Amino acid sequence: MNKKELMNNKFFIAALFLLPAVLFSLVYLIIPIPLSAYYSFFKWDGIGAMEFLGLKNWSKLLSDPIFWSSMANNFKLVAISLVVQIPIALFLAVLLTRKIKGADFFKTIYFVPMLLSSVAVAFLWRYMYDPTFGLINRVLNLVGLEQLTQSWLGNPDIAFYSVAAPIQWRFIPLYMIIFMAGISNIPQQLYEAAEIDGASNLQTFFFVTLPMLRSTVVNASVLIIVGSLKYFAMIFALTGGGPNHASELMATYLYSKSFTEMNMGYGSTISVALFLVALIVSVVFLNLSKKDVRN
Amino acid sequence: MNLILEGREKMKRIPIYTLIILIILTLTPLTTVMAQENITIELWDILTQSEALRPAIKDAIKRFEADNSNVNIKHIPTSNDNYKTKLRTAMSANNAPDIFMTWGSTGLEKYVDQNKVYSIEGVDWTKHFPTTALSIGKFNEQQYGIPVQGVTPAILWYRTDMFEKYGLEAPETYKDLLKVVKTLTDNDIIPFTLANKNKWTGSEYYMYFVDRIGGPEALQKAISREGAFNDEPFIEAGRKIQELVKMGAFPDGVNGLDENAGQSRMLLYTDKAAMYLIGSWSYGIMKQETPKILDKLEMINFPAIEDGKGDPSNLIGAPAQNFYSVSQNSEYKDVSVKFLKYLADKEMGRAVIESGNMPVVKGVAKEIEDPYLKEIYSMGQKASHIQLWYDQTLPLELAQVHLNTTQALFGMEMTPEEAANQMEAAAKEYYGE
Repeated sequence: MNKKELMNNKFFIAALFLLPAVLFSLVYLIIPIPLSAYYSFFKWDGIGAMEFLGLKNWSKLLSDPIFWSSMANNFKLVAISLVVQIPIALFLAVLLTRKIKGADFFKTIYFVPMLLSSVAVAFLWRYMYDPTFGLINRVLNLVGLEQLTQSWLGNPDIAFYSVAAPIQWRFIPLYMIIFMAGISNIPQQLYEAAEIDGASNLQTFFFVTLPMLRSTVVNASVLIIVGSLKYFAMIFALTGGGPNHASELMATYLYSKSFTEMNMGYGSTISVALFLVALIVSVVFLNLSKKDVRN
Repeated sequence: MNLILEGREKMKRIPIYTLIILIILTLTPLTTVMAQENITIELWDILTQSEALRPAIKDAIKRFEADNSNVNIKHIPTSNDNYKTKLRTAMSANNAPDIFMTWGSTGLEKYVDQNKVYSIEGVDWTKHFPTTALSIGKFNEQQYGIPVQGVTPAILWYRTDMFEKYGLEAPETYKDLLKVVKTLTDNDIIPFTLANKNKWTGSEYYMYFVDRIGGPEALQKAISREGAFNDEPFIEAGRKIQELVKMGAFPDGVNGLDENAGQSRMLLYTDKAAMYLIGSWSYGIMKQETPKILDKLEMINFPAIEDGKGDPSNLIGAPAQNFYSVSQNSEYKDVSVKFLKYLADKEMGRAVIESGNMPVVKGVAKEIEDPYLKEIYSMGQKASHIQLWYDQTLPLELAQVHLNTTQALFGMEMTPEEAANQMEAAAKEYYGE
C-alpha cells in the first residue's frame, strides 16, 4: 500500500487515534499485572538490589494470618455492601422515579455523598466517631443511651463495622442512579397492565419492576463485589487498617507492606493474590447469574 | 469531483499546520526560561500549617531568595506520617526533590547506602553545629544532612491545677505514678492522654520503660545481637504498659485516636486528661493552639523505676531533629547546598527559638528566654544518655514490627511475651542470627 492508500485506510486511521490510549493502558494498566507477578518472586525494597526468593513469598502468603483475616474482611465488606446498598438504592430509585414534587431536588441531595472525596468523608466521620467529643457518642449520651457509646474506631471488635458504614453511605447514590436509569427503561405498558390487573404497589414492584431490573441488579452486584474486593480509600484514611489489623483489607495490607515497610516483593505477592481472588469471584458470579437469566 | 478532492487536500493540511503552531508555542516558553536562568528547586518536609517550626523555614527561604533573586524555592510540606511514605516512594522512583528532610540515623542511612544522597562534606559545618548533633547525619566520615532542631526529648506534661485540686505531686517514681493514676481515675479523669492510631506515640512509653528498667544497654545489646529483643527489660516494659492500661490510665479507644488530628490534645485542653507524654515539639504546637493552657502545664522527665538499671536523667528523644539533605539526582546541587547554609546561621537559630522549639545552631542557646525552652535545654544537658526514637534507630522492617507490637500491647491484644517474641523473631530474620 502506498502512503495515500494508507492515509485513507479506515483501520489505519483508527489505529492511529487509538494509539495513545492503547499505549497508556498498556503501560499503566496491563503490563503492571505480569510485572507484579514477576516482582512477587523477589525480595526488593524499591531502591536496592533484587534478591530472588523463588516461591518463598507465596508460601509466606499462604501461612500469613493477617492476609487471610484481611481477605475475610474483604468478603465481609462484599456481603455488607450487597445487603445494604442494593435494597436501599432500589428503594430510593423507585421513590425518585415517581412523579412526586421535588423529585429533582431530592435526586441532587441524595447524590451528594458520591461527590465528596473519600478522604474528606473519612475526616468527617473520624470526628463523628471521636469517643469523647464526637457527634455519635454525644447524641447517645443526650438521649440517655450511654451504655451504647463505644470507642468506634479504637475497639478492634467493631472498628471494621464502623468503617464499613461510611462506605455504604458513599456508594448508595451511585447504584441509585444506575437503577433509576434501569427503571426508566421499563415500558410503561407493563405498569399499566399491572394496574388494570389490580396489583398493589408492592406487587407491582416485585412482579414488574424487579424482574425487569434483573440484569441491572446483576451488573450492579458485580460492581459492588469487585469494588469491595479492591477497596482501599476510606479504610486507609480512617483507621489505616488498625487497630492491629482489625479493619485491614487486602489493598491496605499490600499498601503497608509495599510502601510503609518497603517490602515490594511481598506487596506484589499480595496484589497478585488480590487480582486472582477478584477474577475468580467475578467469573463465578457472572456464570451463576447467566444461568439464571437463561431460565 | 476533482475540485472537491482538491478541497479535501487543502483541508488535510490544516491539522498539520495547527500541530506545527502548537509545537512552536510550547517550545517558546522553554527557551525564554533557559535564557533567564531562573532556577526552581523543590524542598520537601513535614512543616505543614499546624507545625510550629514552619515560620523558621519560610523565613530562611525568604532570606535566601532575597540574596539569590534567580532562585525560587518551592516548599512542599506533607503531614508527618504521610511524608515518610511519600519520600520512600519518590526515592524508589528516582523522583526525589532537590532538598528533602529526614530524621537522620538509619532513615537517612538507607538512602545514603543506595547512593541517593549528595555528600555535603565540603562545608565546615562544625562551625555552626555541635558534633553530637552532626553525628546523626554523618555516615562513612561524610556529612549527609544538617539538623534544624536541637535536642527534642519526649517530656511528661502535667496539669498543675488538676494535681493541686486532687492533692497530687508530680510523680518521681513509678510507685508515685501508680498512686497518681489511681487518684485521677477515682475522680473520672483520664490520667494520660494518648492518641495511638499513629503507633509512635504509644511507643514513647515503651521506650522509656525499657530504658528505665534495663538502661540504654538493653536496646544496644539487642541490636548488636549480644542480647535479644525478648530480654527481660522488653517484656517487663510490656507488663508495665498493660498494668497501666488495666488501671484505665489511657483514654477509651486509644488505638483509634489520631495524634495528627489533635485528638490527644483535645482531652488535655478540655480538662478531661491530666498528663501528656510527648516530644518537646508539643510546646510549639500548644503555644500556637491554646497558649493559655501553658499557664497550667509543667514538665518533668519520665518517672524513675526504683530497682531499674536506667539513669532517671536519661531521655528518649533526638539529640537533633529534622535533617535536611540534598538529593544525588538534583540538577542544582550547589545552589541547594548554598540554601542549607541559611539553615545553619544564627538568624535561623533565633527563628527556631521564636517558634517555641530548641535551636541547634551554635551560639544562640544563651538567647533563649522562654522558661519552657530553658527547662527542655537543661534536661538535655543533664541527661547522661539520649536514646533516639526506636523507629529511627532500628532498620525499617524492625521499626514496623516494634510499632505494631507496641500498639497491640495498648489494645491488650498481645501479651508482653508475645510482643517481645515477635520482635525477636523479626530481628533474627533481619540480622540473620
